[in-house]
Amino acid sequence: MSELKSLGKPTRRVDALEKVLGTGRYTHDLKIPGMLVAKVLRSPVPHAEIVKLDVTPALKVPGVVAAITSEDFVDHGNWGFPVKDDYMLAYKKVRYVGDPIAAVAAETEEAAEAGLQAIVLELKELPAVFDVHEALKPDAPILHEELAKAQAEETTSGELEDAEFIEVHGKGNLSETLIVRQGDPLSKLSECDVVLDAAYSVAHQEHAYLETEAALAVPTADGGVTVFVGDQNPFITLSNLVMTLGMPGKVRVVQSPHTGGAFGGKSDMVYETAAQAAMLAIKSGRPVKLVTSREESMIASYKRDAMEMRYRLGATKDGRLRAAKIECWADSGAYASMTPFTSWRATIHAMGPYHYEDCHVDMMCVYTNNGYSGAFRGFGNTEVTAASEQAIDELAEMCGMDPMDFRLKNCVELGDTLPFGQKLEYSVGLKQCLERVRKISDWDRKRAEYSRQPAHQEIRRGIGVASFFHGLSLGAEGLDFAEHTIRLGEGNKFEILTGLSDFGQGSRTVFSLIASEVLGFPVERFQWLPCDTDVVQECGPTVASRSTILGGNATRLAAMRLLTQLYDAAAMMMGCMVPEVRQEGEVFYGPAGQRVTLDELIAYARANHIPLSAKARWEMPRIHWSFAKGRGVPYVAYHFGAQVAEVEVDRRTGVTKVLNIYAVHDVGKVVFPQGIRGQIIGGISQGLGYALMERVEFEKGYIQNPNFDTYLIPTAADMPVVTVEFVESELPFGPFGAKNVAEPSMVPTAPAILNAIYHATGRRIRHLPANLERVLLGYDLKDTVTTTVCQVGVCERAKCEL
Amino acid sequence: MEIRFTLNGKPTAVDVPPDITLLRLLRDYLDMTGTKCGCEIGECGACSVILDGEVVNSCLVLAPQVEGRRVVTIEGIRGPDGGPNDLQEAFIEAGAIQCGFCTPGMVVAATVLLRKHGYPTREQIIEGISGNLCRCTGYQQIVEAIQMTVLRRGGLPEKEEHA
Ligand code: FES
Ligand code: FES
Repeated sequence: MSELKSLGKPTRRVDALEKVLGTGRYTHDLKIPGMLVAKVLRSPVPHAEIVKLDVTPALKVPGVVAAITSEDFVDHGNWGFPVKDDYMLAYKKVRYVGDPIAAVAAETEEAAEAGLQAIVLELKELPAVFDVHEALKPDAPILHEELAKAQAEETTSGELEDAEFIEVHGKGNLSETLIVRQGDPLSKLSECDVVLDAAYSVAHQEHAYLETEAALAVPTADGGVTVFVGDQNPFITLSNLVMTLGMPGKVRVVQSPHTGGAFGGKSDMVYETAAQAAMLAIKSGRPVKLVTSREESMIASYKRDAMEMRYRLGATKDGRLRAAKIECWADSGAYASMTPFTSWRATIHAMGPYHYEDCHVDMMCVYTNNGYSGAFRGFGNTEVTAASEQAIDELAEMCGMDPMDFRLKNCVELGDTLPFGQKLEYSVGLKQCLERVRKISDWDRKRAEYSRQPAHQEIRRGIGVASFFHGLSLGAEGLDFAEHTIRLGEGNKFEILTGLSDFGQGSRTVFSLIASEVLGFPVERFQWLPCDTDVVQECGPTVASRSTILGGNATRLAAMRLLTQLYDAAAMMMGCMVPEVRQEGEVFYGPAGQRVTLDELIAYARANHIPLSAKARWEMPRIHWSFAKGRGVPYVAYHFGAQVAEVEVDRRTGVTKVLNIYAVHDVGKVVFPQGIRGQIIGGISQGLGYALMERVEFEKGYIQNPNFDTYLIPTAADMPVVTVEFVESELPFGPFGAKNVAEPSMVPTAPAILNAIYHATGRRIRHLPANLERVLLGYDLKDTVTTTVCQVGVCERAKCEL
Repeated sequence: MEIRFTLNGKPTAVDVPPDITLLRLLRDYLDMTGTKCGCEIGECGACSVILDGEVVNSCLVLAPQVEGRRVVTIEGIRGPDGGPNDLQEAFIEAGAIQCGFCTPGMVVAATVLLRKHGYPTREQIIEGISGNLCRCTGYQQIVEAIQMTVLRRGGLPEKEEHA
């Protein structure tokens, strides 16, 4: 590859200026004349039948203009993918505390609030279930009776198909079962010299994006509606709106210029917020803005699922991994949302990037009345890696081996086969990551030194490692493509049109850099636009760290086509043949010394009606996973990486201070250095929170910590010094060799910290988070003390009536 | 009630209900949306503004409390040419901004920090921004942006710490 001009060089984020000046607009900031304020009535109980719901009294409240329930939507607003089990507003039943029931739009917030109070709501409470194992018992209360009935019939009536996710069903509260199958690990385990059998768990984690969910819906002249949101895919918002509002061709979704973070969290809850605002706008004929408060957001929005896991791993006494038998229970909460997909990803990654002779993974997704779970950075892999990388450490110790050596001995390399039958054909830099992180963290010296700390020492240091892999993009989940357009816009700038959202991760900058690289023009020549479903092409969701690969390739191809158009125009303008045109940056030369600048060329093209606009679509190579057999090719390739954490634990207080994290990631190719470093450090901060402090406290379905005073996330004072390095094992079909990075950055952080705490204290904390009590006492006070349920006010009035 | 105060150097009068916060006054009554709302309980710092030289969470200040006082918001923090000042420029250069929702609050907190300490140390910087939550960046590049500003304003580089 020739020398790169733009990629990998220091660059500034293309949308930074207006953010730092405070002039950039987020959905929270949008305001238009005549705008009404919307509020949502939410369930005050975890499980109930809706006996009576009447919103007409709300309409009599001065200032209230519209009020809606599920009756206002097509098919009661039934939606959901891959399982259609949710409603834009609850229909017949509520299934978690915070489930939306009705919504009103009013002239002021106070009037909207009074409108909610006036709604007549009668609920008949139903028995609820908060534990995945309880939920699977035959006499457990069922959350989705109709689905369970349909599934039971389907299971008895025919063969399981593996073509579609949705068809691998469970029963009762079991929404899905996902598997990996190779050999017979149970009998293999009985032959192993060393066997580990341990249970781990991870807690619900809140995304805590600083901007809560919001939508502004504006009625249009043709009787339709335009909705402004910050979401992970405007086209999914669009299709859900069209489906539930029932006005094809009249709905438009526009992304607000900026979105205050997402991390996987701006999907389902935003689709519902958008639909509620849109329906209120249609009913009132006025613009309607709906913004959730922090408490409302924390209570009503989906979380990273809690998961319970049992790991049985076997090895030879000299430390060669042989068998893995892994069983997991994911708490899906009240709705399936993305849990079937996150759990699938978890299943694929549960054994870690190692060789095994035999391996089984069984993952059960279970409905409970604990809020609901969905996508969050790492998408299932963060959950299982928190367990598997501890299990690997425990097994290494049982074999008497250094954890780094153990991983190096067992990790996969190019040409190896993963324990579900996939041969690794591209870009496998795991071994290099491990070797590099060993070196930069000064692993061997520190590990030896901290192992020698005297037993009575109270302030103790430890160092731990975790390595991992993370499949690229959506994988066999579905069709995986992006389509971009680059076109001439105002001020002779080229606009990059994409359906992929940038909520801070930097994809706008990445696309500008790639276009700049291909076309040879400075980055300033390119202009980003927010996604607008009337303007851009569908690109699939902005999830799974797929923007750089999918959008990057679509940008690269579109830029190449645009370059062809420019050369054609230049040849025409200079009166020569295309192969005779030479380009240096923004200047084009002809064979006889002709010289035209890009601006002159653009003026010529405009005058002669030569369009300068190119679009291109890029699709991931197609792969196949058999959901029934638990084998196949789930992802075309993987990100690999390893992180080392160094901690200091005060044994008298249980306080863990993370001193250093060394992160080495195989990203294929660094495209936007500042951005990729930011992704890694940001991911690490979320992983540190996951390891040490973050847990959504469900107490019989009620969230006990619905704001930042009780749900703590890392502050600047909690952060270690992070050292980031990259291995670049180029991905042949990545744009300029690049792979994914956003999600993988946080996956290994928690287990690396947990392994370091163990090294420091000898205390193995198998249940996250490793809070003060667990580090200090070895158990969590929450497990031993019964707290009284505090009904965090979702709707004061409804609570009193019950 | 009418409230009179100095906002970003300009005398301002605004008629608002007496029970609203300064945050609501700025965002809802003056459409100054640079100041963000992240929690409304004084925990996230997204709503930080400068009140008589001190950083405050504007969601905890009642509108009538600013009567006769000086308020500076992100809209009032600019370089001499109306563009970004050196601190803001450093935020861009260091990669201290991702989604940008915490950024105005961070810039406000860092502005006061620099004013108070002149050349704050890394510890002081961390302390100075620890009331401001950022979910995206992991803070390191924000700390680096402030350190960069300290250096450019004539501070001396700190010795690298080794753990
Ligand atoms: S909004 Fe004021 S501190 Fe969070
Ligand atoms: S940049 Fe997103 S919260 Fe700080």
